Amino acid sequence: MDAERFETLAMAYGGDLRRWPEADRDAAEAFRARTPGAAGALLRQAQALDAVLDDWRSPAPSAALRDRVLMGPPPRARKAGSMGISPRGLGFWLSGAGFAAAVLAGVVVGVTASTAAVSDARADAVLSATLANDEDAQAAFTVGSAGARAG
Amino acid sequence: MAGGPTADAGKDPDQALVARVAAGDAAAIQALVARKLPRMLALARRMLGDPGEAEDVAQEVFLRVWRQAGAWKPGGGKFDTWMHRVALNLCYDRLRRRREQPTADPPDRPDPTPGAEHAMVSAERGVRVEAAVAALPERQREAVVLCHYQELSNIDAAVLMGVSVEALESLLARGRRTLRAVLADLAEPGS
Repeated sequence: MDAERFETLAMAYGGDLRRWPEADRDAAEAFRARTPGAAGALLRQAQALDAVLDDWRSPAPSAALRDRVLMGPPPRARKAGSMGISPRGLGFWLSGAGFAAAVLAGVVVGVTASTAAVSDARADAVLSATLANDEDAQAAFTVGSAGARAG
Repeated sequence: MAGGPTADAGKDPDQALVARVAAGDAAAIQALVARKLPRMLALARRMLGDPGEAEDVAQEVFLRVWRQAGAWKPGGGKFDTWMHRVALNLCYDRLRRRREQPTADPPDRPDPTPGAEHAMVSAERGVRVEAAVAALPERQREAVVLCHYQELSNIDAAVLMGVSVEALESLLARGRRTLRAVLADLAEPGS
């Protein structure tokens, strides 16, 4: 590995060698051992940017969001009128434990699917295509890992 | 960023938990939410820049999880990567709608100019970083979010973005070079 490649990797993946592509780490360590001054300067520069980027922290999910996730669909999708389900069905839906148990038992999968389609048909179409192609995506992972560097 | 090839589902740290979720284990459901909701929310927040939309996306991702957990078959990609794919598609859709409806209210993002009003009001470094990342070209921002913040491997990130590892590396390097220039004052000692 030469200095140019080392600099490119530091700029792309940051100043922690453990976060570099696995296939490049040994060569990077060897370059650092050969030229500690130049390599150290590049890593310190990248580490400084890493630290700055880490100042942007994402807020933790609120308890309300956690509850909504456990209970089911977004509020707009839970409107009985748009869902076309009975108040009894809605009540069951809004029961977190009931919802989870039912979904995982496959009882309300159809309701969920139709609700999503009504409330956000476009996003659901995109997502359905994604799910339909998931096997292809997984195949791509396998192909990618065979020839590409590990990250 | 996670190390190692990501296609090895035998090393998927979520596999056992997802199996328990599929079996209806209430504790596993809680655990999966605790483990993944922060990641999905952070991803959507950083991709969309809008807290409300990010919550909607995170919630919708889990809807798909509840629908798909029982059908999940280990042996392909990691479950975490699949969740990222679902979340990214939802984000793409919302970003596309924004482009198609330019009159809609833009997300409440801080102005990237250091001297602008928002920066003067808030001296927090995180606000500056958020603004700088938000100002990157979309693909560069996506690469930085996936690799730096979500800590995905280069292979996972490249697959999710539909680019080669080399192209991902280029996007990352260009994005980070811009960020280094824009945020140079924050990286100085004592800043």
